[in-house]
Amino acid sequence: MKPEFELFDRREFLGVVTRAAALFGLAGGAKAVAGGQGTANPFAYDISRFQKTDPKLITYEETSRWPIPHKEARRLAMGPDGQLYVCAGNYINGLSRTGQGGLELALAGPAWCVAVAPDGAIFAGLRDHIEVYDSKGGRVARWESPDPKTWFSGLAAGRQDVFAADARKLVVLRYDRSGRIIGRIGRKDAERNVPGLIAPSPFLDVMIHRDGLLRVNNPGRHRVEAYTFDGDLEGAWGKAAASIEGFCGCCNPIGLAALGDGRIVTCEKGIPRVKIYSAEGEFESVVAGSESFPENAHVCNDLNDCVNGGLDAAADGAGRIYILDIVAGNVRVMKRKD
Amino acid sequence: MDAKPPAHDPLTRRQFLGNGARLLAMTGLGAAAGALASRASGAGWVWQIDPAKCLHCGNCATQCVLEQSAVKCVHAYAVCGYCQLCTGFFWPEPNQLTTAAENQVCPTAAIRRRYVEDPYYQYSIDETLCIGCAKCVEGCTRFGNGSLFLQVRHDRCLHCNECAIARTCPGEAFRRVPAGQPYLLKTTSR
Amino acid sequence: MPRRLKLTGALGMLLLAALMICAEQRFPPPDFESGYHLPAPSTPAPRQEWLQYADTGVLLAGLGAAAWLIYAKRSRRGLFWLSVFSLAYFGFYRKGCICPIGAPQNIAYALFNPGYAVPVTTLVFCFAPIVAALLAGRAFCGGVCPHGALQDLVLIKPVTVPLWLEEALGTIPWLFLGAGLICAGTGAGFLICRYDPLVPIFRLSGGTFILTAGAVFLLAGMFVGRPYCRFLCPYGGLLRLASLASKWRVRVTPDTCTQCRLCEQSCPFGAMREPAPPAAQAKWLGTQRRRLGWLLALLPVLMAVGAWSGSKLSPAAAQLDPAVALAERYTLQQSHPVQYGVMTPESLSLQRAAMDAKAVLTAAADARHRFELACWLFGGWAGLVIGLKLIAVSVRPARSDYEPDRGACMACGRCFMACPNERVRLGLMPAAEDPAPS
Repeated sequence: MKPEFELFDRREFLGVVTRAAALFGLAGGAKAVAGGQGTANPFAYDISRFQKTDPKLITYEETSRWPIPHKEARRLAMGPDGQLYVCAGNYINGLSRTGQGGLELALAGPAWCVAVAPDGAIFAGLRDHIEVYDSKGGRVARWESPDPKTWFSGLAAGRQDVFAADARKLVVLRYDRSGRIIGRIGRKDAERNVPGLIAPSPFLDVMIHRDGLLRVNNPGRHRVEAYTFDGDLEGAWGKAAASIEGFCGCCNPIGLAALGDGRIVTCEKGIPRVKIYSAEGEFESVVAGSESFPENAHVCNDLNDCVNGGLDAAADGAGRIYILDIVAGNVRVMKRKD
Repeated sequence: MDAKPPAHDPLTRRQFLGNGARLLAMTGLGAAAGALASRASGAGWVWQIDPAKCLHCGNCATQCVLEQSAVKCVHAYAVCGYCQLCTGFFWPEPNQLTTAAENQVCPTAAIRRRYVEDPYYQYSIDETLCIGCAKCVEGCTRFGNGSLFLQVRHDRCLHCNECAIARTCPGEAFRRVPAGQPYLLKTTSR
Repeated sequence: MPRRLKLTGALGMLLLAALMICAEQRFPPPDFESGYHLPAPSTPAPRQEWLQYADTGVLLAGLGAAAWLIYAKRSRRGLFWLSVFSLAYFGFYRKGCICPIGAPQNIAYALFNPGYAVPVTTLVFCFAPIVAALLAGRAFCGGVCPHGALQDLVLIKPVTVPLWLEEALGTIPWLFLGAGLICAGTGAGFLICRYDPLVPIFRLSGGTFILTAGAVFLLAGMFVGRPYCRFLCPYGGLLRLASLASKWRVRVTPDTCTQCRLCEQSCPFGAMREPAPPAAQAKWLGTQRRRLGWLLALLPVLMAVGAWSGSKLSPAAAQLDPAVALAERYTLQQSHPVQYGVMTPESLSLQRAAMDAKAVLTAAADARHRFELACWLFGGWAGLVIGLKLIAVSVRPARSDYEPDRGACMACGRCFMACPNERVRLGLMPAAEDPAPS
């Protein structure tokens, strides 16, 4: 077949095709180079500047780290005998300073919080009730909560009183040792100038300070509040800030502990860090900064219910601080640097 | 006039071979189709993001074949804490807790903040503005309860044979779900 | 229907119960005092299922209409309007997905992945045009395929592609088909979907590269008839093969061919073939037979060489698989750390890989193994394609009439009006008088 009209002859056609292919390749290559996201993500949530801790502020160093016996850790408490009590899964374990196992209490449901009274009685907080055990692990009593919608997330035990922090009803219940509720602390009350607790996640904590007042964290207001046992608000301190002196994110601090000299240890999630404040609330130093908790970073493939990371802390009489890492499932023992 | 060749032509060898090939092909296709159809499950499978695997990387905003991605942020109100300082809405250190652009995480201001009662605020997503970049998801999941998460919106998704975002997802969060249950919504906080 | 309703109702209750049980574990939202009610997240439904079956119905109807228009009505105009409808429906309304061009990949994927079930609609989309081709030639290409319809619309001044170039480029669809099916079968992805240049035009959005490619194809399509169909479409290769054995064939003339040669240039796709009476071939028969013999002997050699070369390609080709790409990035990061920006997808995927390095490396090793075999097959396939193409160009079937090549004919109907006998049939010309006795 010999067509009468030919737009190109073979050579010209080849030339056109080659040039078009070259342009193609160029365009494709340019797009590949320019479009690569290797160096920058326009939608990056960049908080790296908050995740760097000034090394001069860190006054503690890690002496040991050991795993806890069960998964899904929640809270940590110090006993009068120097034993640590860890809530994880449906168990409460009494562990020594080096992680050696001792007492183990198997509960009927998830263990959310624990406290040990000076006489050794163990108070295990499940979500909606408290179980009382003696120091050997024998069950003594079960204390109900007045409200079915309770979610206990923190416990503190004194000689005569037990304080249970209810994150759902936003109140700290004061029980006497027989299990009777004798007070409610922290509820919103305009007359008593109590603004009320705000806890978007089950991280309300309560602690008996050596000055005779309770310390309750108020995560939604980014502060620590001091209450008398009767519920009067004596003071509050703390501010919302991502920088090191404040409490980051939407709801921090999530855990409290007290050192022997009255200084307060706070734990935060989001930018996981453990800090020390004076008893009056002045920022003092950092126990462990965000760099120490890489597993608490956002790459988490586990749809578990422990609410995306977190820490809890306890302190012993010798000034050592124990940090429970909820995501990594271990306890670190921190000692003050010389 | 007829399109077919005149009927009185005898069957040529080529025609015979053609008939044979056609029969073979039809049988083969029928067998293959039957074998695969016995496994078939109806017509409906759609793409969806598993919020447990999502890494909030931002690819959903850039990799979709559509100009405005079919992936949008969704709010599970039952998981939300209704915080005044919502970290899905505000940058970690906002100047003020207002809706000024410099305080917001969302690059397109697609989150609406509405006062409910003291101290609670409702945050809702305007899907016409959301580009699916997951900045708010990252903020909410890192600091908060994780009530904001990305989902493929099926009124926008083209249901491509091979999802362009699925291919590049660093968390391998995309999977096919039945069209009758096309969403993987969060019911627990993460 | 009532039973299904009951079943759905029961499942719904179970789901609700399950959700309520899950809800027990969830830390609930605040107690609102002002009577605020939590909104429910909106869940817009995907396209209804019956519409997908309607799509297959339209496909089958279109194929039937195309066949009828080609063989019974012999109407170019009818085919034109049918193709415009197909462009509107399958192209701009359905955005070109799902389409028969990509459907063989789903079949390949299903064959090697027992966990994947091909939907019935995809099966119909894959097989119906082939069955139609076995009966009525490339009726799909002529009246139903939106890609072809779009190219047909932009064709202004068709140019003849030299035969050697056409045959050479004609191997590309087969190679593309092989590569696409192999990538789909190994689970690396759907290459044919990814590199379809015309579907982004239907979607009216896409990346720079693929939109440029689409524009290039359309520009070329103004002068070269249907460049995608002839030189890239992998499904076209299958249809070409099926058309070779079709029951009916497209004939330029409605009855007998008078050898007037008026239809020679009527095909813009280079499918018209001239008669080659046996007498003209007798002179070259010996040479042709020897050449055919050599080519037949060459075929297995080409396949072997191809298979060997293919296996050499395997490490590079395996990069197509995302598991392999991730593993390679990860091992590279271990030895030569690259600084990625904060929270880029690359850095996140590397972090995730670091959490489960063993699984990542195992998955990559599996994928590489699959690709080794796949590349052997692809290489052999490439050799087969080239060998068969060489044989095909050496063999010239005897023809007595001017008629389109069965495999290459796009069944567009442009050649009908070139034939005077057709014009006579339509009543546009008076019938020829009997020739005067000599």
